[in-house]
Amino acid sequence: MLHRDLLDMSEKMENIQSQSSQTRYDKGNLSLRSSNQRSGAMNSDEPNPLTDELAQLMMLVANNRCKTSFAKLFSHFAPKINSFGVQRLSQQGLAMDLVQETMSRVWTKAHLYNADKAAVSTWVFTIMRNQCFDMLRKVQHNREDAFGDDIWPLFESDDAENNDDDFLLSASLLQHVEELPPLQRQVVQGIYMQELTQQELADKLNIPIGTVKSRLRLGLEKLKSFMEKHYD
Amino acid sequence: MINYHPDQHLLSLHAKGELPLSMSIAISAHAEFCAHCQQQLDQMTLALSEQQFEQNQTIQPASIEQHGQLDDLLNQFLNNTLDSLDTEVKTKPQSSLVADNSVTIKGQQYMLPRVFKQQITSGWQGIGKVSRLRLDTGEPQARASLLHIAANGEIPDHTHKGSELTLLLAGEFSDCYNTYKPGDFMLLDQNHEHSPKTTEGCLCYTIVDAPLYFTKGISKLLNPIGDLLY
Ligand SMILES: [Zn+2]
Repeated sequence: MLHRDLLDMSEKMENIQSQSSQTRYDKGNLSLRSSNQRSGAMNSDEPNPLTDELAQLMMLVANNRCKTSFAKLFSHFAPKINSFGVQRLSQQGLAMDLVQETMSRVWTKAHLYNADKAAVSTWVFTIMRNQCFDMLRKVQHNREDAFGDDIWPLFESDDAENNDDDFLLSASLLQHVEELPPLQRQVVQGIYMQELTQQELADKLNIPIGTVKSRLRLGLEKLKSFMEKHYD
Repeated sequence: MINYHPDQHLLSLHAKGELPLSMSIAISAHAEFCAHCQQQLDQMTLALSEQQFEQNQTIQPASIEQHGQLDDLLNQFLNNTLDSLDTEVKTKPQSSLVADNSVTIKGQQYMLPRVFKQQITSGWQGIGKVSRLRLDTGEPQARASLLHIAANGEIPDHTHKGSELTLLLAGEFSDCYNTYKPGDFMLLDQNHEHSPKTTEGCLCYTIVDAPLYFTKGISKLLNPIGDLLY
């Protein structure tokens, strides 16, 4: 019933908003919530209509800031996040906070979602778990900190091996990074140690992305020559 | 080659987000060294997310009141919150680049796993070859620290009331049981007595004095009903 209500609401939304044509794509046969017959949890090779549909909605949110698609994602995820929150946080008020915080992040971080790396469900689960972790710290220890995303990084669920290499490599590169000129060092650290994208770094430093690229290239060339000197 | 790993129980509590901060840091740091455990965590997370979000039968029906609250929340999002979130993101002040993720002790600099990014807030203390940097996790039940032992140093024989977790981050050390390498994750209970020694020096992450604290999920400590649900 809830589902029906939310669908009606998202249809209403469609009427009041004049969205681009893509947002009208699927009202007729929305299949959200109908995939419980799929049981094999690890069988992610099989095409799954729910997975594809959620990914499509995320794309529309990320690229078009489509509120209708957000409403559909909300109607799928919110009751389930709420039930997770009720189990984990015990108080209903906090469960509703968890829904709000999680869905806010789905909206603001949508552009970082990568369908090749994880299903939308897994991505939202990660956001929810991290958020819940921070909320529990607040309840239990009265700490206003946000460590969830450090403990379970959001956007690299399937390249653990690369991370591993990166970390071990950084350990030996670290002292050479310190020897770089400050502007190059800033860019190299931003990309490789804080794991920002080139665009994020450009925004943060308020410089064009081309400048990020050229400083990065210079920095990496210099590092390469440090390393060669060191290991020859 | 890493020989000591967290067990399945700890990994699964970690994937659910049920461990306290001190222990979550340890598992996450181990997984940065250990592709095998990282892969298991990824699979557990995938399975949990499918169970939570793609299967109806595990979800308790929300009450009428909750329906109403969710409807209100969605309306609030559509009419207001989403737009203000977008404005907030655009006008957010540029935060300065975050401090780098390393520590220096006795003239030596160590790169730490990413999970320590926000955790190093105090300085080193200690005498002789043993130095300790306390982490402020806010957990009265456990004391988490970075522990540095300089070359040819050792920790005198000790036992502990609770369990003791040691994650080796750099260097090597040995005790009467074995020799350990970076990434090795050792959880000893109170019956073990040991005195680690190192020849080349080492850096560890340790948590001590935590009777039963690690292996119980947070929500169980918080909520007695948790036992029935997990
Ligand atoms: Zn492992």
